[in-house]
Amino acid sequence: MNLFENIKMAFASLKSNKMRAVLTMLGIIIGISSIIMITTLGNILRKSLTDTLNSQGGSKLVAFQISLKPEYVRDYYMTEDLITEDMIENVAERFAEDIEEIVISGGYESGKVRYRREDLDVYINGVNPGYIARTSDEIIAGRYINDSDLARGANVCVISEKQAKKLYGGVKEAIGQRFSAKFLGQNHEFTVIGVYETKMTALMSAMNSLNTTAEDWDTEVYVPYRALTKIYGGSEEAFFAYYAIVNDGVDPTSFCEEVQSYMNNRWYRDNDSIMIRYMTGESEMAMMDQVMGIVSMVIAIIAGISLIVGGIGVMNIMLVSVTERTREIGVRKALGAPNSAIRSQFIIESIIICLIGGFIGIILGILLGNIAGVVIGTVAPPSTGAMVLAVSFSMAIGIFFGYYPANRAAKLDPIEALRYE
Amino acid sequence: MSKTIIEMKGIVKSFYIGTPNELEILHGLNISVPEGQFVSIVGASGSGKSTLMNIVGALDRQTAGHYSLDGIDITKISDNELSSIRNKKIGFVFQTFNLIARTSALKNVELPMLYAGMPSRERTKRARELLELVEMTERSGHMPNELSGGQKQRVAIARAMANDPAIILADEPTGALDSKTGRLVMDIFHKLHKEQGKTIVLITHNPELAEETDRVITLSDGSIVSDRMLKGGAAE
Ligand SMILES: Nc1ncnc2c1ncn2[C@@H]1O[C@H](COP(=O)(O)OP(=O)(O)OP(=O)(O)O)[C@@H](O)[C@H]1O
Ligand SMILES: [Mg+2]
Repeated sequence: MNLFENIKMAFASLKSNKMRAVLTMLGIIIGISSIIMITTLGNILRKSLTDTLNSQGGSKLVAFQISLKPEYVRDYYMTEDLITEDMIENVAERFAEDIEEIVISGGYESGKVRYRREDLDVYINGVNPGYIARTSDEIIAGRYINDSDLARGANVCVISEKQAKKLYGGVKEAIGQRFSAKFLGQNHEFTVIGVYETKMTALMSAMNSLNTTAEDWDTEVYVPYRALTKIYGGSEEAFFAYYAIVNDGVDPTSFCEEVQSYMNNRWYRDNDSIMIRYMTGESEMAMMDQVMGIVSMVIAIIAGISLIVGGIGVMNIMLVSVTERTREIGVRKALGAPNSAIRSQFIIESIIICLIGGFIGIILGILLGNIAGVVIGTVAPPSTGAMVLAVSFSMAIGIFFGYYPANRAAKLDPIEALRYE
Repeated sequence: MSKTIIEMKGIVKSFYIGTPNELEILHGLNISVPEGQFVSIVGASGSGKSTLMNIVGALDRQTAGHYSLDGIDITKISDNELSSIRNKKIGFVFQTFNLIARTSALKNVELPMLYAGMPSRERTKRARELLELVEMTERSGHMPNELSGGQKQRVAIARAMANDPAIILADEPTGALDSKTGRLVMDIFHKLHKEQGKTIVLITHNPELAEETDRVITLSDGSIVSDRMLKGGAAE
């Protein structure tokens, strides 16, 4: 009894009861499609995040920050614990060959800008010239903050295209204008030296579209960090963290390890509670993977339950089918079908129900995943591994839940089966 | 002398064995049927005709006694060997036709050959020849529910002939047909008997049809009460 004949027979029997077949498949369809959907979605999110991270330095961007030693005796920071400008300069010189750019953000203030009768929100970000490399921003008029601006603590600023258009009626028109913002209880004035535009990645635009004010207004304004220090009334600069973008060909992790131990040996050896720790873009990715892993696990459990319920549904329908076709089984046996032929006929029927359900589930899953992808703005192919897994899983369900009914059919007594009304 | 196809000695069949209401249906039957004989079995309802036929057809095993079919002792063989014997040695024709639903006439006829492992092309060729023999060529692609009772029974006879069995076993094959159609079916049995020399065992309630055959065995309450040879039937 060959496989091909069995498959044809199974299709004929399913065709005669289409509605029932589809309803039976439902559990399998839901289970498989949720697995495929979540893996497709995972790929999409991963791709978007990689795009976004890459536009902001990507895996070349690393951070060094102060944090508690394992054997700490106090759990708060003091001024002496902070990373000083000298330290950063020292590291920049010592590791000059590895470093493409040092990135510093030395203060962040929320403020208001008066526009007609409104107060618009702005965030004043005190940065160094290297900061632009870790954003998705590009200068479209004027220039970015340079070393001399920083050294002097000049009251200059770089504003966004949207801000320029709204406040000054155009990008070119903004250059040289006075930008006045109220923060820390006072009005502060800056001269506009440049206008930036944010090159949005798909993920960023998707997140931005959730923010209604973003349409004609950006909140970020860049000034030299020393300009903020002057406003604070301080003189020495110290930071909680700084970033570095490593040169091409430099392994970020081993670079970080080196810098971390260099800094700790040199400046934090005698500190009782504080040390330097690093973070890489890769570790951000790993965190994202971890989150996706948890989400996937939850979906996998739901999908697994749905597949088991689906499998029981298949078993139920196969039992009904065996009962309905008792007479047919009797006739087949009278015609000389061995038990094994009857058994494989029903198992193959059950496998085919599950496989069709599996395929519909895969298509549905890809579709749903990509609809979500279109909303996020990125489409990604589903993972072939997940598809192979889904197909083999549905086949396994077919065999597992089809075996019992098929075996029951195979063991029917031919005479009783023939007498069955 | 031609060889013996059915050789039964002291066949007993009981149901509910080992329980207080054990029931003996067949009480030690001795039947011997030579090759090429057309035998009919008659008897009142409940006399044990179908029970006997199930044993002859290797669908069931006797409780006691000895049965050999076409030289094979089938007293002590496995279920799978029984399947194989049914497949190759026996062609069943049922009162209710028992064609497989949603399966064309041609595919129905192919089925025993499929179970015998015959290659597809050969199978189809032989199935077409058999349908021609029962004058059903035109309907070969039809599904059972598109056929009349007589047409179904002709397809069923073609199917019974598929693996060129040693015996055709027919349990009231005309029972569900009107007399005219029943006549047609009987003519096919006569044709198979005369032209191909088939051994045929026919169970019937109709004494007229029984009189057309070579030999009439009458059962009553599970015992043979008469065994008559008719016209030119081969002597026992
Ligand atoms: N599986 C069974 N279990 C118990 N009793 C059975 C079984 N099969 C048949 N019998 C009994 O055996 C007797 C003979 O039945 P059988 O079907 O052989 O009669 P029959 O001669 O074919 O009758 P009919 O002409 O009505 O078809 C009946 O009394 C029946 O009740
Ligand atoms: Mg009967």
